[in-house]
Amino acid sequence: MHALTLPEPGHHDEMLLSSGAVRSHYQHFANWLQAQPPEMLARKREEANQLFHRVGITFAVYGDDSGAERLIPFDTIPRVIPAAEWRQLEAGLAQRVRALNAFLDDIYHDHQIIKAGRIPAEQVFANAQYQPLMQGISLPDGIWAHITGVDLIRHADGSYYVLEDNLRVPSGVSYMLENRKMMMRLFPELFARHAIAPVDHYPTLLLATLRQASRQENPTVVVLTPGQHNSAYFEHAFLAQQMGVELVEGRDLFVRDDHVYMRTTAGHKRIDVIYRRIDDAFLDPLAFRPDSMLGVPGLMHAYRQGNVVLTNAIGTGVADDKSIYPYVPEMIRFYLGEEPILHNVETFQCRNPSELDHVLANLDKLVVKEVHGAGGYGMLVGPAASRAEIEDFRARLLATPANYIAQPTLCLSSCPTFVESGIAPRHIDLRPFVLSSGRETTMVAGGLTRVALKEGSLVVNSSQGGGTKDTWVLED
Amino acid sequence: MRLSIRHVTHYHYAEPALRSAQLLRLTPADDPYQTVRHWQLDLPAAATSGIDGYGNRYHLMMLEGTHDTIRLLASGEVETQERTPCALPGVLDIRVFLRHTALTAASAAITELAHACAGKGTLLEQLGRKVLEAMPYTPGATQVHTPADQALALGAGVCQDHTQVFITACRILGLPARYVSGYLLNENEEHAASHAWAEVWLDHAWHGFDVSNARAPDAHHLKLACGLDYLDACPVRGVRLGGGQEVHTTRADVQLIEN
Amino acid sequence: MMLSRTADQLFWMARQMERAENLARLLDVSLAVSLLPASRAGTDISAPLALTGTLEAYQTRHGQISASDVLAFMSYDLGNPSSIVSCFKSARDNAHAVRGKITAEMWMSINSTWLEARELAAAGCGYQTFFDWVKERSHLFRGATHGTCQRTDAFSFIRLGTFIERADNTARLLDVKSQLLGDSDSADYYAWSALLRAVGAFEAYHALYRDAPSGRRVAELLLLRPDMPRSLRACFDETYKWLSRIEGDNGRAAKRLAAELRAAQAYTSVDEVFETGLHDYLDKMLADITRLGALVQQAYLEAA
Repeated sequence: MHALTLPEPGHHDEMLLSSGAVRSHYQHFANWLQAQPPEMLARKREEANQLFHRVGITFAVYGDDSGAERLIPFDTIPRVIPAAEWRQLEAGLAQRVRALNAFLDDIYHDHQIIKAGRIPAEQVFANAQYQPLMQGISLPDGIWAHITGVDLIRHADGSYYVLEDNLRVPSGVSYMLENRKMMMRLFPELFARHAIAPVDHYPTLLLATLRQASRQENPTVVVLTPGQHNSAYFEHAFLAQQMGVELVEGRDLFVRDDHVYMRTTAGHKRIDVIYRRIDDAFLDPLAFRPDSMLGVPGLMHAYRQGNVVLTNAIGTGVADDKSIYPYVPEMIRFYLGEEPILHNVETFQCRNPSELDHVLANLDKLVVKEVHGAGGYGMLVGPAASRAEIEDFRARLLATPANYIAQPTLCLSSCPTFVESGIAPRHIDLRPFVLSSGRETTMVAGGLTRVALKEGSLVVNSSQGGGTKDTWVLED
Repeated sequence: MRLSIRHVTHYHYAEPALRSAQLLRLTPADDPYQTVRHWQLDLPAAATSGIDGYGNRYHLMMLEGTHDTIRLLASGEVETQERTPCALPGVLDIRVFLRHTALTAASAAITELAHACAGKGTLLEQLGRKVLEAMPYTPGATQVHTPADQALALGAGVCQDHTQVFITACRILGLPARYVSGYLLNENEEHAASHAWAEVWLDHAWHGFDVSNARAPDAHHLKLACGLDYLDACPVRGVRLGGGQEVHTTRADVQLIEN
Repeated sequence: MMLSRTADQLFWMARQMERAENLARLLDVSLAVSLLPASRAGTDISAPLALTGTLEAYQTRHGQISASDVLAFMSYDLGNPSSIVSCFKSARDNAHAVRGKITAEMWMSINSTWLEARELAAAGCGYQTFFDWVKERSHLFRGATHGTCQRTDAFSFIRLGTFIERADNTARLLDVKSQLLGDSDSADYYAWSALLRAVGAFEAYHALYRDAPSGRRVAELLLLRPDMPRSLRACFDETYKWLSRIEGDNGRAAKRLAAELRAAQAYTSVDEVFETGLHDYLDKMLADITRLGALVQQAYLEAA
């Protein structure tokens, strides 16, 4: 028997009701769990660990030149989503990503949404993520973000909220795939008793999306990585291998006569689509950071000539900037003429004096984030912060209010998770990966569930002690 | 005025470079104040050309195979007019030019300088005077990649530094401002003929200001390119593999053919 | 068809593994010879430094030549890019960069070799034990490669790296010995035996010649016999074979030189070698091997 710790009051738990009763979509799993001897489950967890190490599903740690790599902890209790709930999410995600792509195409062309007064021009054009070199460039099918990761959380009210969109180089999909492979290997019997939507066709879908992104008949696709010292190198190598395309570094590519080529043992080969896992600033030392050793000199020229497609496009960061986030529901109404299906989190923009006043008066209740920050750094979680930390942020807010937004503290839902003391609720989020092509906006069911392993913590980032879980979408 | 220009850029490497790539903004375009009569580039390799996001014409030149020297020659004749405020905003939204960049990042010192303007003359004149007072023209004190705030702290600089501090200050004051590179016909030969100045969007028009010479640009000025900072607009930008130490010389001769 | 960089990393991964093994063999012999009377030991123990061109770096670091310093410098010193542990590190780094192109078993063998080598170095493992371990790890990697790697261009570049490196090492080793012993057909039993042991050919020599080692026969064995896996002849047969399998006609110059070397080695007699003089002959061989390596590099591995 496993003792399940009751969820914290005021949080939604994915498996348990506050009474301790099991939600219906978890019933099969809970029954199975109760029937397993704890030693057996412990052995399976150990087996999973060893397997992950052996295969090398690890992420490199910066500044460690001993070659050490760390494992992202994997929890064997899955996050389960009922079919009807997923259908709703899927519709909401597709809608949101369609609107974001329409927004990007618009702000680099005619600026309709700005002319219509729905988003302040300065928010877009003076944004450091707006890329002047992209103005007026027409991309195939008007797709800018081919791969989007949307971070969702479930609030105490039981509804999902979008925490942020990731339209630059979203990562984590390899963990989604490896987690599923691991669960099927450890517990095949579970997959016999549940109808779980598959995820392993993601590389096939991704390759189709990348090929669709080119106007060429039979395009050559490559994955561009910063190299083996990048923390996500494993994922770059994994995806290239799964799709059967070359994993290249900047030095493998060169530009000649307006086209991009790779250097091979059999001579030069022309490249049509680059799935780049390098930030905009490092792509071309002649166009962006001159000190970049990772990019391809002249790439921007070939790109502007329309002779190569970059996925995602350059300049997509303006759409996932935290200062633009509050306007996404407005984008959905403006471009699609629809009401948003997914909720945005209420957001206070500190650049507006009235909103700043409200934020300053409620610092102990709010989460304050840097507009351009990422990865859970540069942020204040009011209810968990010390007096000194709050005062420090107050000073920063007063100095550069436009650099900050604030949101109510959200109660991330919890999910039972194996911890030292047994099984206890830990907070989770969800990152589905949405693929966009001229033909369709699609995704595999579920996504990556990240879990904050520290008790009470709301920070799920792997760089700060987060782990992952398999995500099951049940089929009807 | 009819000006003739001869601009030679020369790189010499201590060791052979294996490959190099150069982005050249060395071709002026026609605008209401300048008409290109003829223009040519003499380059060591074939180059392709394009127009960048700011509307600048550029050439991209790849040198494959080892080389230890590169010589670039741009020459031609251009008819120039007196420059007046220009109401054509350009290809980008004006507000793009409110942005700070790595080379033109806001700092406390530049903010202070921007707000200290109260005196005789227009805002641009006052600001230009402040900049020039704070950092007199001093060749060799700064490098091409010296950011505005560092140059100001050094208290010295050349036209590039003057312009970058000036446009940073304008942006702090909420005025869109851009960096312009080009040539200057010099009667007194004090400054290099390869030049930089600023343009500021005021009252629905771009107003030029040549900070180093403390005056508005006129028919002596010939425009090559513009952008958010030096890196966006500089005449030559290159990267190379190998080559070791580099000796870089550039010389631009601008001559008056007829008034 | 593969990325030039991938081919380069596979090639160097194999070369560095082979180099580590050859170094272990050489040091093993040097260690054995250093235990002999002092007159001979002094010159012999510096041979590994001369062979790897690290004499100067060694002297800056240690000054006087001493057996224990040379062994430490060439075995465990990560500050010396030519040491055994440095070779393993470099092999591992190359393998890491092409992890998707080699099998999991190859990767695991090369990765754990590096990790364990580091531990052995830190623990100050005895040299004899260490050299045996190095040879074993090299055999293991070769076995993993042979048993699991798909026979594509990737495999060809790995084999090519192995044999170009081995040819270079065999020629150098023979050259250093021949210089130490003079050009004459010397019958210095200990020195030639040690050389045969270094290349694992002691048993073969005795089976073939049933006599005490002589310079002429050792040279014949290590230069001209096709059935000795570390002989120059065998290495040239292999480099030609793997090079000719690589797709594309980028490498015409490299392939031509490989064919010339193979033919020359197949139709040279030991008398001709000694007419030229062993040292002069090996000098030319070393230059040819270096040229072959450079041609391979130009044709396939570096940026065109």
